[in-house]
Amino acid sequence: MATPEVSAPSPLLGRTGLTEEDTARSVDRGRVNHARTHNKRWRLLWLLVGPGILAMLGENDGPSMIAYASDGAQYGLGFFVPFIPLLFWMAYVCQEMCMRVGSVTHRGYGELVLQRYGRVWGWFGAGDLTLTNLVTLVAEFVSIRVGLAFFHLGAGVAVALGLVLVMFTLSGGRYWRWERIVLGMALFNGLFLLAAILVKPHVGTVVSSLDFTPFPGGGFNTLLLLLASTIGATVTPWMIFFQQSASADKGMTPRDIKHGRYDTAAGAVLAAVFGIGALIAGAALLTHNGAGIQGFAGAGFPEALKRVAGSAAGTVFALGLIEAGAVAILTISASTAYAAGECVGVSHSFNTSPRNARVFYAANICIALLAAVVILIPGAPLLSIALNANVLATVLLPVSLVFMVMLANDRALMGTWANRRSTNAIGITVIAFVGLCGAAYGIDSFLQTIHLIGS
Amino acid sequence: MNRDTRAIGDAHRSPGIREQDLQPRERMEDELIMHLERDQFVTETSRPVPRAPLSRRARTGLWALRVFVVLVSLMVIYTFIAGLR
Repeated sequence: MATPEVSAPSPLLGRTGLTEEDTARSVDRGRVNHARTHNKRWRLLWLLVGPGILAMLGENDGPSMIAYASDGAQYGLGFFVPFIPLLFWMAYVCQEMCMRVGSVTHRGYGELVLQRYGRVWGWFGAGDLTLTNLVTLVAEFVSIRVGLAFFHLGAGVAVALGLVLVMFTLSGGRYWRWERIVLGMALFNGLFLLAAILVKPHVGTVVSSLDFTPFPGGGFNTLLLLLASTIGATVTPWMIFFQQSASADKGMTPRDIKHGRYDTAAGAVLAAVFGIGALIAGAALLTHNGAGIQGFAGAGFPEALKRVAGSAAGTVFALGLIEAGAVAILTISASTAYAAGECVGVSHSFNTSPRNARVFYAANICIALLAAVVILIPGAPLLSIALNANVLATVLLPVSLVFMVMLANDRALMGTWANRRSTNAIGITVIAFVGLCGAAYGIDSFLQTIHLIGS
Repeated sequence: MNRDTRAIGDAHRSPGIREQDLQPRERMEDELIMHLERDQFVTETSRPVPRAPLSRRARTGLWALRVFVVLVSLMVIYTFIAGLR
């Protein structure tokens, strides 16, 4: 099959009602069909990867990497080295469902919930997403600011960098262009693995921690905070919205589900490896500066690493924080834009020009702009926001996951691609685990705050 | 929802039109159409899917979960604000 290049889609809008979105998507699909027909397996894989890796590496964002490093700095490697891959396996289960529903229905999560279960549930979901995305985006700008502070650059540069990136990636009017730019940036998440190598960890200690021991010490509430924030560093509402909508926007079909699974699994493996890299880098501080979570969330993390493991480790970690924040700003803004377009019922695709998808592009830019304004407010509690972003995401996640499982089980939509019993069993276990950890931390902290129980 | 894309391309053509009779632009349009499944077109995805019937138990469960999540979120936000003081 030929791969036509289309320079001016507008003349095509008449005869069969093709829109510019259809035209752009069909060009991408033409490449996929060509690779499939000619049995070019690696080319096909290259064309179909994207949403899964972006969702997983996008979630290895600034607050997440700081959370992993803080875990390592306070508790060492034990428990967390096997716990992080376990969480990413849970993330894979959830994200695979999103990819599958998006590929089969060609619709985003927000619009399906809204149309299938009613406007109330659709808008609740969009509200949860906007709240957690705004808080998380503030945390991403904080992360960039922390990284840039290592190079003696201020908040203004962090804001400018984040917003310029958003504008630049949106300028192409094509999903494919946006995806490839962000994918290229996301691979620099590997800087955390490099940081781990630079701190020269003891391999025997890393291997021996695979049996979940030693279990982290400290109080019950601290343990709940660790669990809630580490879960929030792995699975969040924006990932659900993003991967389903991105899979539909990319034009994936049921024939691509196998490659969608490869994509999601590759993202999960990379994210787990890089997350453990941040943990190992943080663990280098365990026997030196051993401060608590609060102390290490600040700009001192790369500086502390520089003192303990050398200038290169500190520099790489700082660059990693900048990359993690920047990629997450792009993916989280995109998930907000998808949700806004889907709930309002207007065009919501990177394949549509800004003129024809004003809500989509405006939401993408406005949410990033709003978060950027917050970090410029003098005296704003940025570090507290960064620390609580993951916890809030964990608390709000179960509702999004329940609707995800309902959609993936909807035989009228999914046909033979609906969930199997085993997938449902795992999905429900994940929801119960996430819900329990988030709720236990929220309730325990609240009761301590109002002095109904002791700390 | 998985359909043969070639069949969709053919379905858009009028019967009896030979390949060589098509203008280059029309041929390109037909090729583009062939690459998409019918339910991938914007005209198709713009149509809302029908509402799913939710049982009373399911609705009650969803509302219970929603109320619980809002309450816990408020607790987390309260704790966050109290921690700032």
